[in-house]
Amino acid sequence: MASDAVRAQVSAKWQESFARLNRDQPGITGLLNFSRAFAISLSYLHPRDINDPTVVRSANVPHVRAAMSTVNESRMLPYVLDGYLDEVRKRFNLVQKDVEVFMAEYAESSDPDVIRRLVFRLLAWYEAWTPLPDLGPVILSGYSLTFQTLLFSNLPPTFATGFKALCASTLPSAIPPSASTPTPSDYKMWAAFESLGLIDRFESILASVGYEHIEAYVLEMCKGKWSEPMLEGLRNWMSGKVVPWMLLAYARGAKSTEEARNMLQGVGSRFDFHMNKTLCDLRTNEIFDIIIDFPDSMGALVDLRDCLQRVDQRAELVAALRKANQKRLLHPGAETKLILSQYVATIKCLRIVDPPGVLLFKVADPIRRYLRERPDTIRNIVANLVGDDDTGDSLVDENEPIQPLQQADAEDYSDPNWEPEPIDAGPDFRANKPSDILSTLVSIYDSKDLFVRELQVLLAQRLLSITDDNVERVEKERRNIEILKIRFGEVALQVCEVMLRDMTDSKRIDGHVQSQEESVVHPTIISKHFWPALESTNLIMPGQFQKLQEDYATQFTHFKPDKRLRWLPNLGTISLRLELEDRTVEADVPPLEAAFIELFSDKNIWTIDDLTKAVGAVDRAAALNALSTWVDLGVLKEDEEGVFRLLEVAEEKSALTKGGKARGTEANPGAGGDGVLPPVTQQQQQAEQMRIYWKFIEGMLTNLGNLPLDRIQTMLKFAPGYDQTVEQLGAFMEAARREGLVVVREGMWRLNR
Amino acid sequence: MDQLTTSLAPSRPSPKSPVAGTSQQAAGSTSNRLGNELMTLMMSSSPGISAFPKHDGNLFEWVGTIEGPAETVYAGLSYRISIAFPPNYPYVAPTIKFESLCYHPNVDPANGAICLDILQDKWSAVYSVQTILLSLQSLLGEPNIASPLNADAAGLWNTPEEYKEQLMQHYRPLKDDSP
Repeated sequence: MASDAVRAQVSAKWQESFARLNRDQPGITGLLNFSRAFAISLSYLHPRDINDPTVVRSANVPHVRAAMSTVNESRMLPYVLDGYLDEVRKRFNLVQKDVEVFMAEYAESSDPDVIRRLVFRLLAWYEAWTPLPDLGPVILSGYSLTFQTLLFSNLPPTFATGFKALCASTLPSAIPPSASTPTPSDYKMWAAFESLGLIDRFESILASVGYEHIEAYVLEMCKGKWSEPMLEGLRNWMSGKVVPWMLLAYARGAKSTEEARNMLQGVGSRFDFHMNKTLCDLRTNEIFDIIIDFPDSMGALVDLRDCLQRVDQRAELVAALRKANQKRLLHPGAETKLILSQYVATIKCLRIVDPPGVLLFKVADPIRRYLRERPDTIRNIVANLVGDDDTGDSLVDENEPIQPLQQADAEDYSDPNWEPEPIDAGPDFRANKPSDILSTLVSIYDSKDLFVRELQVLLAQRLLSITDDNVERVEKERRNIEILKIRFGEVALQVCEVMLRDMTDSKRIDGHVQSQEESVVHPTIISKHFWPALESTNLIMPGQFQKLQEDYATQFTHFKPDKRLRWLPNLGTISLRLELEDRTVEADVPPLEAAFIELFSDKNIWTIDDLTKAVGAVDRAAALNALSTWVDLGVLKEDEEGVFRLLEVAEEKSALTKGGKARGTEANPGAGGDGVLPPVTQQQQQAEQMRIYWKFIEGMLTNLGNLPLDRIQTMLKFAPGYDQTVEQLGAFMEAARREGLVVVREGMWRLNR
Repeated sequence: MDQLTTSLAPSRPSPKSPVAGTSQQAAGSTSNRLGNELMTLMMSSSPGISAFPKHDGNLFEWVGTIEGPAETVYAGLSYRISIAFPPNYPYVAPTIKFESLCYHPNVDPANGAICLDILQDKWSAVYSVQTILLSLQSLLGEPNIASPLNADAAGLWNTPEEYKEQLMQHYRPLKDDSP
């Protein structure tokens, strides 16, 4: 039951619709026209199968255009479009089929060119189905959106891979750097990408193509090439090769260079960053070898410095270098000398990369700690200082001016060039002012006293090894000491001064003594208090040697009545001429050898035990060593174990050489195995360390009175490098108590005075 | 001209913070210096002088011990002193006092204060704990009678027997358990 109102409303609607379609034309002509136009529009807007050559788009465009405008006037265009888009959807399987064909081909050949053809094919479909352009942008964009949505939902996942390969193929190939410029076909292809909306869709792929390309190029060009800075060349490559490509991909439709530049700005700086980052990563990975190669790797270091300014990867660099050092440097297999020279190279390299020294500080810490634990570090540094190095390459640059050791001073805030510490400096960062390498090396230890002491030991060794043949070496040592004085200060090297003077004084005294009474003995007279403790044995020189020494001592006492001469009979060499029945043997031998052979002048057969007893207590190994020297020379023969016989008449050659061979490895006349100073062993180092701690313990017990063990332990924190546990300290204190240095009562320790 | 330079000078965020930073920095380097001095003092074997920080973790307060130099009236006597380092050491002299009662012309009997030129106007940053201790040790045997803090002692100095008697009356041997 429709009421009047309803009826009236329906009639009004009807009238309105009619008026719209009829467009005020007489009768229903308008309506008829419209229906004709609608039919034309629909038939025109039909997604054709472009594979079917029979269906050609009617060329009657003006006619269609008129029909369209009729439809438009009736405001029915959206319906036409909806219908058309539905049609497109329905017929998209045609496109789909094509895509499948191409993708199947691509799956077989993996040739990016297949994708290129597919893209052009898709473009053909797209253009074939495009409605008239003059229908306005709304229609067009509605169409593109539908087409693209359908396309993207139908593209298989493999398309992305193919697309990436295609994009990559358009890049200028890295090797050989060809002068390829974008070809017209490239332009067309990029335009096709654009029309199909592929660029927006696959932007991330496009970017990754760029990144990967840059990465590959940087790795190819720069890996292992450290001599020249690469960054400049890479930048040129970027602007010469990559930017034209970027213009295609990212700056389509730019009308002026200005506009293009603006469009490229974002992506360009991303790519530039990536290039820096890649180079930085590469150099970070190579840093250890770069340091080894220094100074030939200067270029790489400059690159690294520049990259680090752009890419904040300082922490990564530190981590990488620390890891590499840990793995390749700081292990028992590496020689201390090598570690030192690598450390020095690290210092020099990181000063280039990071002048304020924050990186160095962070990297150096583990190396320094490791070096401190090595027993022979000081010896190595000192040996290098005095040029006692076999390799000849000095840790310290000869061109560097010799200057006094520098102490870390308080910062001078009145310095006009003062700069604050860099932001990534840790709280314990000590501004490592560009001081010289030696100061840095010496500062591994908290006190330079250790160096000075080692220097004395070394000097003693070198001075004592000087014989009459190379007296000029004293002068060389003097020169060395003069240089070192500048570094360590006069006072520290006073002892060395005295040692050198002893050498010349010895000559003088000897000259005087010889003038009084000629003697074959030419001693080096050293001042006990100034020379490091030399190993002394209980060797007593027998027979004529004893007498020679005594005579000399008497003369000496006449010359210097206030001094007493104490012999170190185990040091030095003796030139001997042995007159045997059939031959004379001449030899330069250490004292122990001489002492033994002297004993044989009394009787011809000795057992080793009697021999050692006769010269005082000498250990058996040393005695055997000395005797074998004579066995090698064919003077003695070991008849049975431990019994030696003097060969007044030489045995036949064969037996002699046989004996010589058997012993040859262990005995070496003239080398005087036990005559020289023993090198400072690790135990001695440790004892040295404990000596320092003892001084501290003594100091605190003197001033603070009685202390419990744990208090001593905490107070020892004042001693630099103190790393003992309470248990170790307890054992040490116990040892000190046994020696009567301290006493303990109710857990309180105090000095025994 | 003044105006120009002020406007050219970089503006300071707050006048306080740099000052605070400076003193902290300086404290750090003072600690370093004191640590080094301790090391030097421990490693040197100067007989009769010794000093050590009073508490762990604090390098600014030390306790020292001085033995009287041989062949003086103070021979065989030991005195305890306290050393307090200012934060800007070594640019300013440390404060040193005798903790034990010390009968001496240049030591204030009331509070142990010492009259020694290098601890006052003659102070220089090149001095160290060691040099101070050595100076104090020699001061014991060679007092400066001209500027006494203890007039009695200064008066008796030229009569060694009486002086020694007074000295021994005032002397209290160190007990080891007194910190």
